[in-house]
Amino acid sequence: MHSSLFQTLADPSRLRIVETLRRGEHAVSDIVEKMDIQQSGVSRHLHILQEAGFVKVRAQGQKRLYSLRPEPFQEIDAWIENYRSFWEARLDKFGEALNKLEGK
Amino acid sequence: MATEKQRFTIERTYTAAIASVWSLWTTKDGFESWWGPGGFSAEVHDLDLRPGGVLRYSMIAVAPEMVAFMTNAGMPTVTEARIIFTLVEPMTRLGYKTVADFIPDVAPYDVDTMVELHQEGERVRMVISFDAMHNDEWSQRMSMGFESQLEKLSGILDPA
Repeated sequence: MHSSLFQTLADPSRLRIVETLRRGEHAVSDIVEKMDIQQSGVSRHLHILQEAGFVKVRAQGQKRLYSLRPEPFQEIDAWIENYRSFWEARLDKFGEALNKLEGK
Repeated sequence: MATEKQRFTIERTYTAAIASVWSLWTTKDGFESWWGPGGFSAEVHDLDLRPGGVLRYSMIAVAPEMVAFMTNAGMPTVTEARIIFTLVEPMTRLGYKTVADFIPDVAPYDVDTMVELHQEGERVRMVISFDAMHNDEWSQRMSMGFESQLEKLSGILDPA
């Protein structure tokens, strides 16, 4: 599960698209302006991001507006917290061992 | 995101002598007293405290539940592991690489960790930073998933 999330973000162009969308909803043309790749490339990356659940799209007239979905980011957060909690538990033991060493 | 080294930090402040904190990281008795996750004990075999030096140890499953968990996972209850010191500045900074090459079906990976000690009056602030995404290899993340599984299990065994 995380594998595909990280693989999706590992691409620099896609990461840049995500960074752009952090500032809010964008049309494809607005995203293309901020990128140094062609519109077809941006569309392809948007499609991959959409498939992976990072972005959603809605139509407004002729325009298709893209924005971020929070779910995959929450999942990444949760994964990082798992790793952090491993250290939290370990440092609890560190604190106990330290107290013992200092005769407290 | 995954192409950059992303560092995560965790810190604790202890009311203790900085020498005591340092010794828990750098002596056999100190290291063994806390390193093993819940349900495991650590036994140090070699400790060569210098950059490039190796700390070789065994992780020994001791809690019956952990022994069962490891057995079910197809893993030995005693695993050899090592860390390689990358930076040794007594009472100040300790850097090391964790080399995990003992997990079945998972390629070896390194995680760089840095421990920094700051004397703040009577207290010692310890800051640990590590790479959560050291490289793009999924194998590493698999291994971390394994660690978090262990951590969860240790939480069940030792809710404190």
